[in-house]
Amino acid sequence: MKSVTVWMCICISLLLLDKAASSWDGPSALSVSLASGAPGSPSTASGPGAQPEWVDCIQASDMCNQNPYCSSRYRVMRQCLVGKEKEAMLDNNRECQAALEVLLVSPLYDCRCKRGMKKELQCLQNYWTIHMGLTEGGDMEDSSPYEPVAPNRHPDAFRLASISSVSGMLTVAPKGFHCPDAERNCNPCLDAAKACNLNGSCKRQRSTYIATCSKEDPNKGETCSKKRCHKALRLFLDRVPTEFSHRLLFCPCQTEGCAERRRQTIVPDCSYKDKEKPNCLELRGICRQDPLCRSRLADYIVNCWTTPHTVSTCPNQDNHQACLASYARLIGTEITPNYVDSSFSNWTISPWCTCKGSGNQEEECLNFLRYFTDNTCLRNAIQAFGYGIDNTQNKNVSVPGPSATSKTGPDWSTGISEHPSVTIPKYPEPRDGGLDLGEDHSPCLCANVWALLPSLALALVLAQHAL
Amino acid sequence: RARRQKPCTLRELELTVSELGLGYESDETVLLRYCSGKCTAHRHNYDITMEHMMRTGFKKKGRKDKVINGPCCRPTAFEKDFSFLDNNSRYHTIQNVSAKNCGCV
Repeated sequence: MKSVTVWMCICISLLLLDKAASSWDGPSALSVSLASGAPGSPSTASGPGAQPEWVDCIQASDMCNQNPYCSSRYRVMRQCLVGKEKEAMLDNNRECQAALEVLLVSPLYDCRCKRGMKKELQCLQNYWTIHMGLTEGGDMEDSSPYEPVAPNRHPDAFRLASISSVSGMLTVAPKGFHCPDAERNCNPCLDAAKACNLNGSCKRQRSTYIATCSKEDPNKGETCSKKRCHKALRLFLDRVPTEFSHRLLFCPCQTEGCAERRRQTIVPDCSYKDKEKPNCLELRGICRQDPLCRSRLADYIVNCWTTPHTVSTCPNQDNHQACLASYARLIGTEITPNYVDSSFSNWTISPWCTCKGSGNQEEECLNFLRYFTDNTCLRNAIQAFGYGIDNTQNKNVSVPGPSATSKTGPDWSTGISEHPSVTIPKYPEPRDGGLDLGEDHSPCLCANVWALLPSLALALVLAQHAL
Repeated sequence: RARRQKPCTLRELELTVSELGLGYESDETVLLRYCSGKCTAHRHNYDITMEHMMRTGFKKKGRKDKVINGPCCRPTAFEKDFSFLDNNSRYHTIQNVSAKNCGCV
């Protein structure tokens, strides 16, 4: 009889331990980084009152237009950029070169644009009026015309999380991603569609782009209107909160059916595929003619690419969110990226282009394609998305139920071992909520630990009795 | 026995597209809004007359007509088109499945 009670106690305490362990890795890592880095770090100081060190390009061009000298040069510059021979004009035309020299010291030179701002396109056009002539040489990548992204606030959380899982002491629980029936009924992409359909705005916007992208174009016979489809996709991604759109784009898949749904998210038959696969450099050239595409491509590379041999895989101290956002904003441009097939374990992302026929520019072409196909930052950011989603989804739920954690834990720990760099239980949002979340969690953690002690002691006492 | 009858209102239900009965196979979940409830407060003289005619009037005049003797709770507007991906990875757009407003008509 006694041994039975001992076993029961041990079982109960193990259950409690499991629950506590799952609550440890996320919040504790957060609170540690809070204690060490938060008070003096510059990122916390940049509140709404802080003054940015740049003006937006619409304001800058207004400022320039108020000055007769600046405005006349600005007008000349715009003339230089009209037409097909703009490269030649910038290189050889004296007046164009003189105008550029004047504008380099105007407020237009340092101006930036906000992502998703009103008149974004106009702002970007103003930006490129100056910068089109500055980035000569094809292999150099543009700098982004968008406002700089704040670095990740809790870089320590990542390192701690990965250390703790390497040591094997704690299992990483997939928070915000629950599979009731691990194998069969688990389709996070279907859940993402459900979440969108239950939200009035998301449902409306999604239906709009799907209908636009699957409608046959009366002018071209059977194929859709790619231009309209792209515009509808951009509207969807601009207007719908990322908690819905990113969930559809980056749902963590464990089955082929799920991955196929994920691939289909952007209606690739219309928005992605084409009759022919152009050369990637040719595609990049087309993109660069368009201020919107050029800006978003530059922003993607700035936020999703680090040169090898750095500590973090993503820029801005592993700011995954910034990378995913700038990836999503490429959708609906000439360089629309997508999953190339419905493989769930070994997926690849690429724009619709190839490096065949590159001639002597093959290396440059491959380097460009690698921003998509062989990008550790993008890969990590997407892999980590399934773990971090709870930050935006269930802000009130601090710790997932014990049944969910214990059930899904083992399945996911195997998935993690394939990608050892992705052991992030949660990553804080760069903009808001990060600090508050951490503070909310720490009391819970303490309570958990203290609640654990009596049951452990009881188990020990009983065990001694039994022996 | 004064059981108060609920008036005509918009109600909602979470369903999969397959459950809509339109022949599509898709596990995507959608919010179906529909109209239900009583319209007794919206009866016109026409409805009272029709009820009376059904009981006696038509027979007396040698007719067997059937008439609906009261307004019905029906959608007065539908939600915008709804698009979804079916289980064979094809997109569909369906119209006028979900009510937006209800009225006694």
